[in-house]
Amino acid sequence: MEMQLSDVGTVRKIVLAGRLDTTGVDHVETKFGAAIVPGGKATVVDLTQVSFLASMGIRMLITTTRALSRKGAKLAIYGAMPGVMEVIETTALSDIIPVAGTESEAIAIVTG
Amino acid sequence: MNAPPTPSWNPPGPMGGLLLTEFIGKTLHLVLGNTLGSVLDGRREIQRHYELRLYDPGVVNRLDVIFEELISNIIRHGFSPGSNQSISVLVADRPGLIELTLEDDGTPFNPLAASEPEPLRDLETAPIGGLGISLVRKLAADVRYERPGAGNGGFAPANRIIVTIAT
Repeated sequence: MEMQLSDVGTVRKIVLAGRLDTTGVDHVETKFGAAIVPGGKATVVDLTQVSFLASMGIRMLITTTRALSRKGAKLAIYGAMPGVMEVIETTALSDIIPVAGTESEAIAIVTG
Repeated sequence: MNAPPTPSWNPPGPMGGLLLTEFIGKTLHLVLGNTLGSVLDGRREIQRHYELRLYDPGVVNRLDVIFEELISNIIRHGFSPGSNQSISVLVADRPGLIELTLEDDGTPFNPLAASEPEPLRDLETAPIGGLGISLVRKLAADVRYERPGAGNGGFAPANRIIVTIAT
């Protein structure tokens, strides 16, 4: 599981690549939270290179988005592939975390 | 449906991820050890020996998610750390279905007896526990739990979960 961090204007952008399974989340969860929560910036998470999502990944997204929300900032995810999107839809994750198709849509959501 | 055949094999020695791969007729049988590496090893063996290329990618993803959730759940919650406990996995073709049967000798526990987690309504109250089993229930065509009888060949399973995935 790999993670890249950058800023797009005032928005933090995280690119995840690999499998968000038990092993992948163990590997990336601390870095993911540390890259997002302390800064308290609006954040978008690029899932285009995430090939697999299971409940541990859902949990990581919820806990990080919750912590960021307590600082008054939003997080949106975008670019999910069909298998990942099926898990997002099955768990109704999009009811609490905005899901966008593209980076620009996600940025519009978190800065709106 | 009758209980699946319990293969005869002996408990493993030093723990590893993948302990055994064999075919019982056309059914793929794996034995996985008490390590989270078993999830990856088991998935690789299913991909290697089972003709997943014949299935729709959505079916393969559902099998992958269900396998990940159930195996990791058994190892994290049903096994004692460092023990020689193990999981027997059977993967079989059924008409219109893939059938996945898991038996383990961990703590007797029926994960299907737990109530469904509350729906995700807002960030502050969203539950983060129980999502895995809920996901299995929703992605599978059917999920059943059984208490197996006495095993044979030295393996005494305490739990059996049978999951079918529509193809």
